[in-house]
Amino acid sequence: MSATAVEAGGGAGLRRFLVRHVLMSEYLVLYLSVLYFLAIWPFVPEMATASTAGNILSAMLPLLVVAIGQTIVLIIAGIDLSVTAVIAMASVVGASIMTGDGGYLAGSPFAVPGGIVAFLVIGGAVGLFNGVCSTKLRMPSFIVTLTMMMFLSGAALWYTTAHTETSSIAALPSAFVAIGGGDVAGIPNALWVALAVAVAMHLLLSRTLFGQWLYAIGRNREAARISGVPVDKVIIWAFVISGLLAALASILYTGRLETGTPVLGRRFLLDIIGAAVIGGTSLFGGHGKVVWTVFGVLFLAMINASLDLIGLGHDFAVGVKGAVILLAAVLDAARRRVLARQ
Amino acid sequence: MAHFAAKPVLAVEGLNKSFFGVQVLFDVGFTLCPGEVLGLVGENGSGKSTTMNILGGVHPRDSGRITLDGAPYEPRGPRDAVESGVAFIHQELNLFENLSIQENIFIADFPRVGRLLPFIRRKEIAERTRAVLEMVDLDVPPTMPVARLSQGERQLVEIAKALAAGAKVIIFDEPTTSLTRRETERLFDIIARLKAQGIAMIYISHILGDVKQLCDRIVVLRDGAVVGGGRADELGIERIIALMVGREIDQLFPPRAPCVTTEPLLEVRGLSQPDVVRNISFTLHRGEILGISGLMGSGRSELARILFGLDPHAEGEIRVGGEPYAATDPIDAMRRGIAFLTEDRRAEGLMLEASIADNIALPSLRDFAGQFAGWLRRPQLTAQVVQAADQVRINTRDHARMLAKNLSGGNQQKVVLAKWLLRAPRVFILDEPTRGIDVGAKYEVYKIMNQMVADGAGVLFISSEMEELIGMCDRILVMSRGEITAVHERAEFSSERIMESALRVGMDAVR
Amino acid sequence: MPMISRRSFTVGTLMSLGVAGMPMFVRAQEGKTVALLFDSLVSPFWVSGIEIMRQTAEAKGWTTLEAISDFDDNKQFEQVQAMIERQVDGILIIQTDANAVIPAIRAANEAGIPMVHFNRPPAENEYYSVAIQADNRKITQDTVQFMVDEARRLGGTYKAAILIGDLGDVNAIQRRDGFFDIVDQNTDIIEVVARIATEWNADKAFAGLTNAFQANPDINFLFTSSDFMLPQIQQVLRVAGRWHKRGEEGHVIFGAFDGDATAYQLLVDGYLDADGVQNLFLEVEMAFGAFEAMWAGEQPDKLLLDPGFVIHAGNLEEVRDEMWGYVVWQKEHG
Repeated sequence: MSATAVEAGGGAGLRRFLVRHVLMSEYLVLYLSVLYFLAIWPFVPEMATASTAGNILSAMLPLLVVAIGQTIVLIIAGIDLSVTAVIAMASVVGASIMTGDGGYLAGSPFAVPGGIVAFLVIGGAVGLFNGVCSTKLRMPSFIVTLTMMMFLSGAALWYTTAHTETSSIAALPSAFVAIGGGDVAGIPNALWVALAVAVAMHLLLSRTLFGQWLYAIGRNREAARISGVPVDKVIIWAFVISGLLAALASILYTGRLETGTPVLGRRFLLDIIGAAVIGGTSLFGGHGKVVWTVFGVLFLAMINASLDLIGLGHDFAVGVKGAVILLAAVLDAARRRVLARQ
Repeated sequence: MAHFAAKPVLAVEGLNKSFFGVQVLFDVGFTLCPGEVLGLVGENGSGKSTTMNILGGVHPRDSGRITLDGAPYEPRGPRDAVESGVAFIHQELNLFENLSIQENIFIADFPRVGRLLPFIRRKEIAERTRAVLEMVDLDVPPTMPVARLSQGERQLVEIAKALAAGAKVIIFDEPTTSLTRRETERLFDIIARLKAQGIAMIYISHILGDVKQLCDRIVVLRDGAVVGGGRADELGIERIIALMVGREIDQLFPPRAPCVTTEPLLEVRGLSQPDVVRNISFTLHRGEILGISGLMGSGRSELARILFGLDPHAEGEIRVGGEPYAATDPIDAMRRGIAFLTEDRRAEGLMLEASIADNIALPSLRDFAGQFAGWLRRPQLTAQVVQAADQVRINTRDHARMLAKNLSGGNQQKVVLAKWLLRAPRVFILDEPTRGIDVGAKYEVYKIMNQMVADGAGVLFISSEMEELIGMCDRILVMSRGEITAVHERAEFSSERIMESALRVGMDAVR
Repeated sequence: MPMISRRSFTVGTLMSLGVAGMPMFVRAQEGKTVALLFDSLVSPFWVSGIEIMRQTAEAKGWTTLEAISDFDDNKQFEQVQAMIERQVDGILIIQTDANAVIPAIRAANEAGIPMVHFNRPPAENEYYSVAIQADNRKITQDTVQFMVDEARRLGGTYKAAILIGDLGDVNAIQRRDGFFDIVDQNTDIIEVVARIATEWNADKAFAGLTNAFQANPDINFLFTSSDFMLPQIQQVLRVAGRWHKRGEEGHVIFGAFDGDATAYQLLVDGYLDADGVQNLFLEVEMAFGAFEAMWAGEQPDKLLLDPGFVIHAGNLEEVRDEMWGYVVWQKEHG
């Protein structure tokens, strides 16, 4: 749309326009998504159907919820590698409470609320543990959350085998399944949830004391402490939020698959961190926004959807995905260099 | 004082340089003879660094002539400069801490067995390293890792590295900022020795006393041009400062009406922490600037951290405004009206990647957060931040966009001051507030301090520079080895006596 | 933090909508298109499987689309959705989890696209799909029976070990049950001293078997639930000094399951006594036949069984052409 306006401006003008409004823009990743869409469209015209858009959206939403949690931890210069294991653990524990097939609260009217509480308690408790270890014990969050991920992945498998003969827990109540699959006013519930999370976290980051404290800790933890920021408390809360959002994503995923499974999410840790980082959130802390992560998630979800549609096999899919993400990363690095020079 | 009739080893003429269309050097010229030490002084941004970066091969020049030993000198890069015999010893040392001294010295060019083989001659390296270490009077084995050396020793290694590369000209950029007094004196001895060996040196420093003592000649830069200079023994410090700032300053310190009261603001009784401080007692009054003098490691910065609740203390009683104060939590300290400007503004004072406004707002955010979810009242906050920035006169227009890392040292320090002034503290602890900032900015910091005490605050002023303590304080406490060894009233100030208490001359003799 | 200007926000929102709501565009289809959704290609069985499927489809003039979920149930669900979007004529799926695949079956049913589960049936459900599965229990029973006959022929008593698969996989459970069906009838000569849980992981198989041989050095009757662990087993037996051919002193009576190229080689060399073979060629034919039946409006049974067969030194040359691993072996050996 803006392209036509630019062509009239001539070569140098075009370059300046591109540099200022595209390369330098916060929306670079969104533009890349559009570009990717246009590039892939001739090969997979199904990309342009309303139901594919719906699929991309439904694939995006749980990923978005957990990636926003990750963004918050990245802002304080931490990292939370345990989120996928939280998703798996919460999935099987929540399912074991609700399942009609011998669940703890099977048949009770409290089955669904009890299950949801279990999801959130696991997320919050793991986050609390991660936060306490990385503040009071001064452990690097990379180590804490990595080992936590290993422990929880194993625990989730063990918990499943202790509850069922098969590898997963099915027969979940329909009221629960509706959370992941149903809709209100024609809009999928997952979209309501993700929207609420995105808006709440956006406001939290940009408009509140807590948000400013998060950025301050990420930019200079020592200066923040000396300036009266309750550093430990804020960091612990950041991890708790990340854990809670992972649990929320687990509710959406589990509802969608109608099954509690201990391998849920095991493979998309890189998608989560990748989405945040591609969006522009820094791994070194102090920089990050919810909108950026929304764009990063959109970008990845679109690549995934297009590769599924092409159906050309695994090697091809992995190669293309890697190449596109690498391209995005290179562009981002180039942008930062230009910004630094200005 | 020696006279240098000899041919100059380095001659600079008509040097010009622009960055992005802004000219920063105008016809800079000077000469340097073998065995001469040239002092280069000027405020931050006067063009010292640019000049030295051109000499060191970091930037190319736009125009001008430089000759080294009579031949045209046009370094293509830092390494080329070193190979031509010009060594640049930066403020931040460029040593690899995990490598040994000898590896650091020969890192750029290890002597090898044969020309193409990848084997290095360890024995030769060790011998040559020992030789240059002897020249700088550093008695440690060449294989010692740099990480185990003190700051001063590391600097000597840098000098040795320059000598090993066959330096004819050595440039020192603020070499004493992180050295103790003893290390500084040792450095000066070495400089004198190198001088005797005919090596020419350029010495850049803010500490004018050192420059005057050490150098043969002084060149003063202002706004990218040479504005004066001459023989060091003929140039008074006031004259140097006048040249630097472009006006006569008859007083280094702003005038102040005494406003000390007897009302205690901060009372410390018997404060102790094993291996840090011992039995510290003093009282800071309303309207008083109380100086703390002492060498590095005397416990002065540690005392400040304890008072602000950052570090623990084992014993002692502290009162603020008459009320008991536990000193266990910076948030509590701030609530009681204590503010703390730390000695390392880049590591502890600022968020370098954040804007001026975000930096100033940080300690006060809590006061602008509403009851509901900590929602910030932005308009009020912004108004207050702008006011605080104006109060310290930060020279930039866009507080919301300009990042702290892009400010000069003086402006950075003003940002740190502003962030605490916004809280209108009753007790302000300032740890080395004027370190590494230029004369003009120092004067403004002093004025802010005066204004604070005039408004009824108390200031605890920690500094290594005796002149400014004497110039600013109502009383000076001297600390040594974690204890207060003396208290001097304004009437009896003399820098020798204060230095003496800091060094505990008499007591050392007994032990 | 810099705020987002209203204008750039509008531009951003419009572009988002552009991505999401482009007009419908449907491409015409030619011939039949079948999606092959694998969860991995980690063992030769699956690599051969997808190769045979490609060839069979090509022979029929069909187009294939492929996707691999890398054991991610959620991703596999998204892949099913994508294939429904592409309006394929049939979806062949190898799911990781028998429960988690059910929403995908429902989605395929709703879209009217036939779905075939290859090698692993889904959990009990109310929707319609066809599963092709080797009759694991029967094939394993036959294999182990052959081993027991061999043991009786040689005489003596036997200490047995079994490498069990991932118990989340029905196949693994059925093979385990088939093994014990026979062994439990012959407790007079066979005592099972080691049940090694491998979770279909070759490293765990290696560690588990090593431990078993340390605890019971005299194990002389061994069954593995899958051929892909054969290299690890060979390694362990070598180290334990128990890698001997049939007829040699100290030979371990050794049975396996799948029918891959390694198994064929070991049968030829005489280390392996019997291998239960899943008839991969037949299974692919059955799967594609099920598609054709469904396209013709028929409703095949929800579970179709491949009877498989046991291959051993005695029938090697007669039946090897039906053994998929032999085809692979032939290619490797010119």
